Amino acid sequence: MAQPANVGELLSMLDSTMLGVRDDVTAVFKENLNSDRGPMLVNTLVDHYLETNSQPVLHILTTLQEPHDKHLLDKINEYVGKAATRLSILSLLGHVVRLQPSWKHKLSQAPLLPSLLKCLKMDTDIVVLTTGVLVLITMLPMIPQSGKQHLLDFFDIFGRLSSWCLKKPGHVTEIYLVHLHASVYALFHRLYGMYPCNFVSFLRSHYSMKENLETFEEVVKPMMEHVRIHPELVTGSKDHELDPRRWKKLETHDVVIECAKISLDPTEASYEDGYSVSHQLFTRFPPRSADVTTSPYVDTQNSYGSATSTPYSTTQLMLFSTPRHLPQTLSSPSARLLPEPLQATLWSPSSVCGMTTPPTSPGNVPSDLSHPYSKVFGTTGGKGTPLGTPATSPPPAPTCHPDDYVHISHTPQATATPPRKEERTDSARPCLHRQHHLPNDRGLEDLHRSKGSVTLSDLPVFLGDLASEEDSIEKDKEEAAISKELSEITTAEADPVVPRGGFDSPFYRDSLPGSQRKTCSAPSGTRGSIVNPEPFHSSLDKRGPDTPKQAFTPIDLPCGGADSSPAEDRDRQTSLETSILTPSPCKIPPHKGTGFGSTQPPPYDHLFEVALPKTARYFVSKKTEELLKKVKGSPEEDYVPSTSPMEVLDRLIQQGADAHSKELNKLSLPSKSVDWTHFGDEIRTLRDQLLLLHNQLLYERFKRQQHALRNRRLLRKVIRAAALEEHNAAMKDQLKLQEKDIQIWKVSLQKEQARYSQLQEQRDTVVTQLHSQIRQLQHDREEFYNQSQELQTKLEDCRNMIAELRIELKKANNKVCHTELLLSQVSQKLSNSESVQQQMEFLNRQLLVLGEVNELYLEQLQSKHSDTTKEVEMMKAAYRKELEKNRSHVLQQNQRLDTSQKRILELESLLAKKDHLLLEQKKYLEDVKSQASGQLLAAESRYETQKRITQMFELEILDLYGRLEKDDLVQKLDEEKAEAAEAAEERLDCCNDGCSDSVAGHNEEASGHNGEAKTPRPSGIRGSYGARGAGGSSSSSELSTPEKPPSQKAGPLSSWWDTTVGEPSTSIPTVGSLPSSKSFLGMKARELFRNKSESQCDEDGMTIRSLSETLKTEQGKDSGVEAKSPLNLDGPHLSPPAPDSVGQLRIMDYNESHHEHS
Amino acid sequence: MTEDSQRNFRSVYYEKVGFRGVEEKKSLEILLKDDRLDIEKLCTFSQRFPLPSMYRALVWKVLLGILPPHHESHAQVMMYRKDQYSDILHALKVTRFISDTTPQVEVYLRMHQLESGKLPRSPSFLRQPEDEVFLAIAKAMEEMVEDNVDCYWITRCFVNQLNNKYRDSLPHLPKAFEQYLSLEDGRLLSHLRACSAVSRLPYDLWFRRCFAGCLPESSLQRVWDKVVSGSCKILLFVAVEILLTFKIKVMALNSAEKITKFLENIPQDSSDAIVSKAIDLWHKHCGTPVHSA
Repeated sequence: MAQPANVGELLSMLDSTMLGVRDDVTAVFKENLNSDRGPMLVNTLVDHYLETNSQPVLHILTTLQEPHDKHLLDKINEYVGKAATRLSILSLLGHVVRLQPSWKHKLSQAPLLPSLLKCLKMDTDIVVLTTGVLVLITMLPMIPQSGKQHLLDFFDIFGRLSSWCLKKPGHVTEIYLVHLHASVYALFHRLYGMYPCNFVSFLRSHYSMKENLETFEEVVKPMMEHVRIHPELVTGSKDHELDPRRWKKLETHDVVIECAKISLDPTEASYEDGYSVSHQLFTRFPPRSADVTTSPYVDTQNSYGSATSTPYSTTQLMLFSTPRHLPQTLSSPSARLLPEPLQATLWSPSSVCGMTTPPTSPGNVPSDLSHPYSKVFGTTGGKGTPLGTPATSPPPAPTCHPDDYVHISHTPQATATPPRKEERTDSARPCLHRQHHLPNDRGLEDLHRSKGSVTLSDLPVFLGDLASEEDSIEKDKEEAAISKELSEITTAEADPVVPRGGFDSPFYRDSLPGSQRKTCSAPSGTRGSIVNPEPFHSSLDKRGPDTPKQAFTPIDLPCGGADSSPAEDRDRQTSLETSILTPSPCKIPPHKGTGFGSTQPPPYDHLFEVALPKTARYFVSKKTEELLKKVKGSPEEDYVPSTSPMEVLDRLIQQGADAHSKELNKLSLPSKSVDWTHFGDEIRTLRDQLLLLHNQLLYERFKRQQHALRNRRLLRKVIRAAALEEHNAAMKDQLKLQEKDIQIWKVSLQKEQARYSQLQEQRDTVVTQLHSQIRQLQHDREEFYNQSQELQTKLEDCRNMIAELRIELKKANNKVCHTELLLSQVSQKLSNSESVQQQMEFLNRQLLVLGEVNELYLEQLQSKHSDTTKEVEMMKAAYRKELEKNRSHVLQQNQRLDTSQKRILELESLLAKKDHLLLEQKKYLEDVKSQASGQLLAAESRYETQKRITQMFELEILDLYGRLEKDDLVQKLDEEKAEAAEAAEERLDCCNDGCSDSVAGHNEEASGHNGEAKTPRPSGIRGSYGARGAGGSSSSSELSTPEKPPSQKAGPLSSWWDTTVGEPSTSIPTVGSLPSSKSFLGMKARELFRNKSESQCDEDGMTIRSLSETLKTEQGKDSGVEAKSPLNLDGPHLSPPAPDSVGQLRIMDYNESHHEHS
Repeated sequence: MTEDSQRNFRSVYYEKVGFRGVEEKKSLEILLKDDRLDIEKLCTFSQRFPLPSMYRALVWKVLLGILPPHHESHAQVMMYRKDQYSDILHALKVTRFISDTTPQVEVYLRMHQLESGKLPRSPSFLRQPEDEVFLAIAKAMEEMVEDNVDCYWITRCFVNQLNNKYRDSLPHLPKAFEQYLSLEDGRLLSHLRACSAVSRLPYDLWFRRCFAGCLPESSLQRVWDKVVSGSCKILLFVAVEILLTFKIKVMALNSAEKITKFLENIPQDSSDAIVSKAIDLWHKHCGTPVHSA
């Protein structure tokens, strides 16, 4: 915590003129800030700065570190709220922001931003507004993601300020409006570049309102003419634009370049890519690659410059070498060849890395690139080195150079050598850079400025002479240093088009009135000759060096007073310049002055038209218009809404500077102070203007810084690419080496392989030899093995043999033993046998003795029994024979027995067979019997039926007979009456004959018959007469009943009996009138009747049946062999035989069948 | 054994599954192949199974004794039978008992009368009830048997069998009928008793005529199969089944006359089912006749 007093002291010390003190104090402050985290010190510093506007404080404030940012922002915020301090605090903020502190991302969150926006929306002071807008524009790329919240505010601000540009509310001076317009224009670019969709939609909504339409027409529409269609409008969306991810990838300078890309305004645009690149490529490459003679540039050259017999070689050189070639050509023709590859490598990155490196600004990339380049040349040749830088610096205007050189070369044609001319022109160009550079310079480049001032003082002389080479060299050196500086600093203003703008700027215009007509004609001529922005550049280049060179000195002065001297210098310079330029004859071609647009365009003009289709044409026409107007002497500024506000501003600045210098010149210093109050108002205006200008420049510088950042990055990439290429080459070399190695190795490998194969072959042969050896050995071994086996088998055999022999030996031994034993036995036996022999001998002797004795006895015996023995022998023989006989007999008997037994068996089997057969036969018999019985039954039934039929027939016949008889009876009734007596007599006879029999029969019958039957019976028995009589007597009854037939039946029976007895049948012819067969019939009839009556009594039926059967049998016998049976027929006697016969029949039947079968 | 092997071994199962008569024809053919036909086996067969119609006449003739068991004598016997038939026919024609216009059934009747010696003196004599029975049976038989001779003989023998063999058992049938009816459906019997229709049921039609004229011939012959093969009890069960089948209708009728009248003219459409059920019932109560080998 520093005490306030202490702080105040220190602050006062900070402003001391002593550099050392200042540095010390600054160091103290920084230390304090490092140690102290409180807001006190920062607040004090801010206050102090606001009071004194002191540079050291500003320096301290802008380099504040992290923890103090909040305090600073709070403080600024605080002061922004106050109208009095707003302007200065905003400029402070601008300073802070432009340096891009590490905490810049916090800006979006800080309350400062809304208050700034609010201030921009509310404030009416144009100076504040312009400053604020510029600050805002500077801030926007740093905090792109904050757009989300404040986008509408930005748009509102834009809307408000754009309307301001037109409406000019209140007391606003037009001068200010130009500034405001420029800043609004920048804001437009920024907003359109960053948020195209949102912005366009805002524009659409905002300017669709009628009250804004005019603003649109007047202000916004011209602005829109300077922008391309943003690609985001096609591919993006509102939301996508605001997406933080989109912005995360982009750094601040990326955003700035992004915005510059879409600009068509040459002052704003970036030529990094798109058509601008192609434009450059088109312009750059053809000359390089084209042949000298065929190049169209030759023609142009010829037409333009060679008319005055320029040394062909120089023009050629100039023509063919693009600005980049210049140093080489200048250094030495011999060295020309050398740099080319270098150059190629140098330039390749731009196209190779695709970064669209070719910078639009002259001081950017080319200068950077030229550093190593120039160094190289610096050592070789003094002239070449300085030239390198300027030569490379203006690449965006490559085509201009030839012309440029042509123009210039014409001036010094007689005296100056071509290189010198080049140097001169080149030296002029760096001056131009310096011119732009100068306004931006503050205290940073004091050294160079002082240097510049030194050279500048000499420069006019030098320029005036145009012959002193030394000066030019000196100047070149200085230029090289400056360009180096420039490249290091890299301003956004280094845009190549700026000089162009500068040419059109008020400075130029302002200078016109003061300067001779020639100057005007010169640029106009140049421009007319080449309808291209570049000529202006070049022309300005020539003119430019003067103005800045004067400006060097006054810049050391404080801002406020700086205005006078530059203007003065500029004036002087312009005059000088014009004087320089006038000698050039080619600048004023005869036809240039008449018509600018109608001038014959160079052959490559169309390229620009292609590249910058409309804007170029438009721009050119505008410019010519302006120029015409200027020629007329009407220095109006803001009458051209379509001109870029930047240009307008530029012009204004120039004009203002001129005016200021004039004023100041008019006034002596004291008078100046006296009239301070009188001119206070104007001064204030001027001051404000200056402030605005300052701001503008600061803003431009900021842009330049961004470009520089970008350039650095690109350079880094280029270097990296180069390094990589180097690396690649190295790698390639290595690769080659390795390949060589590999080849060597391959060769050796082949060798080795050959050796190896050789070795292998050797080995193979050895192996085969060994194999054969092995085989042989094996063979041997096998042979040996076989031999050994044979031997072994032999051995075995021997062993076996030995064993056998041993066994044999044993056996032999055994045998020996045995034989020994036997021998001993034999010997014993021998001894025994000897003894036995002895005995035998003894016995033989005895035997002999005994035999003799026996013989003796035998003799004795024979003599005694000779007969008996014979008898016995005979007997024995007999017995033997007998025995033999018996034996054979027995044998015979046995045989017989056997045969008989067999026979028995046979017979038995036969018997069994027979039995079986019998059984079968029986079965069959049974079968047949049943069959027969079946048939018989059928036959029987048939017979029965027949019987029935017959019966029926009989009945029928009887019936019919009955009817017939009835008729007869009726006829013979009379005749019969007469013979009644005779009939009675005969009846008596009959009674006598068969009385006993008939009585019994009648009795039986009577028992079975009704009473009715009694009457006919006697008559029936007594014969036909009786029957007839009976019939006659009871004719009526006969008719009614069937009782009559029995009587009739009796008749026949008796008659039968009669005939059999032998009675003369003649006696009964009448009776015989009844047919003899009738007797049988009658019986039948009777039976029938019986049958009828069967239903009443069955017993009788039986007898009757039997009777009938008997009858049948008798009939069957027919012949009547047995007379007895007819005798028995009568009465009940007949019945017994009937059953008998039936039985017989049955038996017979069986027997018969039996017999048949048997 | 050979017979068995010829038969389908599945035949045993056919009946279990409910197919009847699949193998009967074959087994009958086997039976009929025997020389010296086994009458008993034939009887058992025809009691157990319905006879195939193509063998029915033959089996009946054998069973009724018209043909002997021996195949050999069949032709001869049949010739006898034919002769006998033609003789009788001739005789009847000669005696003018019949003429060409006389219906066949009456011809049969006359022939039967002649054979049984009961031929009336004149054709105009009133017919006895037994004659009516004969006529009914003959009429039914005429439908079943094509040949006149066969028809006559079968009818004759059938009637003779009824008159001789079943003379004793037939009168007991009504009693048994009541008994079985009570077993099967007591309510029905009680209803019949209540209507006092039990004694007035058409017993004559059922048992004397053996349902001739009551059932259609196609069903009737199945009943007669059993009758011919020696079981007159089937008649009883047919009667019971008829009552059971028409139970609802019979129950609806209240007077004995109506019941009798209805039973005498039962609808013929369900006769087959009745007979099948009756046979089942018979088997159920009397047991399936086992083959007495």
